[in-house]
Amino acid sequence: MDLIFLLQDVINGILMGSIYGLVALGLTLVFGVLKVINFAHGSFLMVGMYVAYWVVAFTGLHPYLALVLVTPIMYIFGYLMQQWLIRPIFVAERDVREPITVIIVTTGVWYVLDNLALLLFGPDYRALSPNPLKGEMIELGEILISTPKLFGFTITVLTAAGLYWFLLKTRMGRAIRATSLDRDAASLMGISQWKVFNVAFGIGTAIAGIAAVVLVPVYNVYPTVGVPFDVKSFVIVVLGGLGSIPGALLGGVIIGLIESIGPNFMTSTWTEAIVYGLFLLVLFFKPSGLFGQKYDW
Amino acid sequence: MTPQSFKKTGLALLVLTALALPLILRSPTYLHILIMLYLYAYMTTTWNLVGGFAGVLPLGHSVFVGIGAYTSTVLWLQWGISPWIGMLVGGCLAGFVGYLIGKPTLKMRGAYFALATMAFVEGVRVIVENVDKLGPFKLNGPRGLNIPPLPAGESSFLAFQFSTKEPYYYIILFMLMGVAYLTWRLSRSKLGYSLSAGGEEPEAAEALGVNVAKCKVTAMVLSAFLTALAGTFLAQMTLFIYPKSVLTLDLSFELAFIALIGGRGSLAGPIIGALMLRPVTEFSRIYLSATLPGMHLILLGVILIVVMLYQPRGLSEPLTRLMSRLQDRICSTKTGGAQ
Repeated sequence: MDLIFLLQDVINGILMGSIYGLVALGLTLVFGVLKVINFAHGSFLMVGMYVAYWVVAFTGLHPYLALVLVTPIMYIFGYLMQQWLIRPIFVAERDVREPITVIIVTTGVWYVLDNLALLLFGPDYRALSPNPLKGEMIELGEILISTPKLFGFTITVLTAAGLYWFLLKTRMGRAIRATSLDRDAASLMGISQWKVFNVAFGIGTAIAGIAAVVLVPVYNVYPTVGVPFDVKSFVIVVLGGLGSIPGALLGGVIIGLIESIGPNFMTSTWTEAIVYGLFLLVLFFKPSGLFGQKYDW
Repeated sequence: MTPQSFKKTGLALLVLTALALPLILRSPTYLHILIMLYLYAYMTTTWNLVGGFAGVLPLGHSVFVGIGAYTSTVLWLQWGISPWIGMLVGGCLAGFVGYLIGKPTLKMRGAYFALATMAFVEGVRVIVENVDKLGPFKLNGPRGLNIPPLPAGESSFLAFQFSTKEPYYYIILFMLMGVAYLTWRLSRSKLGYSLSAGGEEPEAAEALGVNVAKCKVTAMVLSAFLTALAGTFLAQMTLFIYPKSVLTLDLSFELAFIALIGGRGSLAGPIIGALMLRPVTEFSRIYLSATLPGMHLILLGVILIVVMLYQPRGLSEPLTRLMSRLQDRICSTKTGGAQ
């Protein structure tokens, strides 16, 4: 009997963790190419969740059909964000190896977006009111699996596979990989660095949009909903190795497992402390993470 | 008038004005606003020791504020040890924690350091919110700690409690002047030069024999120690501390924002930043928060983004340029008159 509960928690942890991984996937992609951490990534997720929420609320589409609208909107949002905000800093700090200013500006974006949402939509927690997926469960013997989370897991796998295909098989994907390896050499080969940055940032934000659509049926939407996901994504990408795609997914699953299995042994709030503790341990002892490259970027 | 004496006169005027302000400004409300302004100027100046001179981005300085506040309060509540001693104990503890965070992370790239400091605050907050007792120390979890006030009208230096605002005003003013002097001395010391060299060009500095990582850790310990002193002051001012007041990301970010907008790495930057931004946040919080919630944070964020895009070295740079032009004009007319 106990084993069944444990198995249930493990499955739940993997499913929820894969959604965390999906959020972190966008962050790690942006980091891999631009070598900067987008501190506003959680806020982009929040924007995506509001867009998804309003799309579904107004059109009455099935929550997952909102993907068709949310993904391109978020792509354009990220593309323009990079074009108008991040690019000027890159131009100004061309000689600086690590533009800390980008971290600062994205933190500013985080604060502006979160509080703008508070201003526009108020502090209310919003949940989809006709929610076709609410409480839907699949029964496997004695194990209950939440349907929306299972869909989330599937969408994560499909997104990661799609991203891999894009990076490996398309011309733009190859340009992105070349730029992330050595941006100067890539520029010399005729790749427009700025275009690549814009597209990578756009894709990273679009992935946050996909994660937002996945989250809306199972999670409330409120102005600071991005913050816990933001901080969790940082933990996940460092755990998995900054810039690594499998690292982000595996890191997400590890965090998900800690959060779902932990409460069997301790008060649930303590699992949060364990997550941060693990994060600090990785930072101190293996900063390159599980899959990160060791070399200096 | 030589440039030297121009600067000295200006500084003396500034200090005299600050010292005389409570004699003119008798309203406790305004004094309170000034005290908070100095407190923020103090905390951003200590932030600047790492964030400015060492060229990294600490996003977790509220953890040191929290350590300072909790240490002195726990010592006072449980053993009656004067907050003045608690202040020093808290400072040393914060310095030690600063060493623990800084030692492994300051060797790495700045992004890791920023993330580690952030995670540290969040981790400490979660722990403090979840324990009522940490060993022999009562922390009271999310409810926080109340310092019982002295009977009305009584003041006690040893208890760090005063019935009027003036003593608090002078204490924080002297703390601010002390830390500004220290920063000035530091910027002209070997450590200061090593730090700015290591912040700009780590490889070149290392090639010249500067132990960059060690200098950064030293700056971190010093900054942590000094920041914690502000924590004790804050606790004694408000007589009530809880995890969400002193151990939050919001406070950490606000300190970083003020220092960055003012100008990191300069002596005047953080103070100018606090002078300009505290009133903005204070007043928009008072007047706009009912109708436009979160407006002050939007303003702060927009100001930060605009300043970073157009004046990445902060607002103190154009102001210093203005000052030196003024200085040139005054000095040259004076010497012109003498001829």
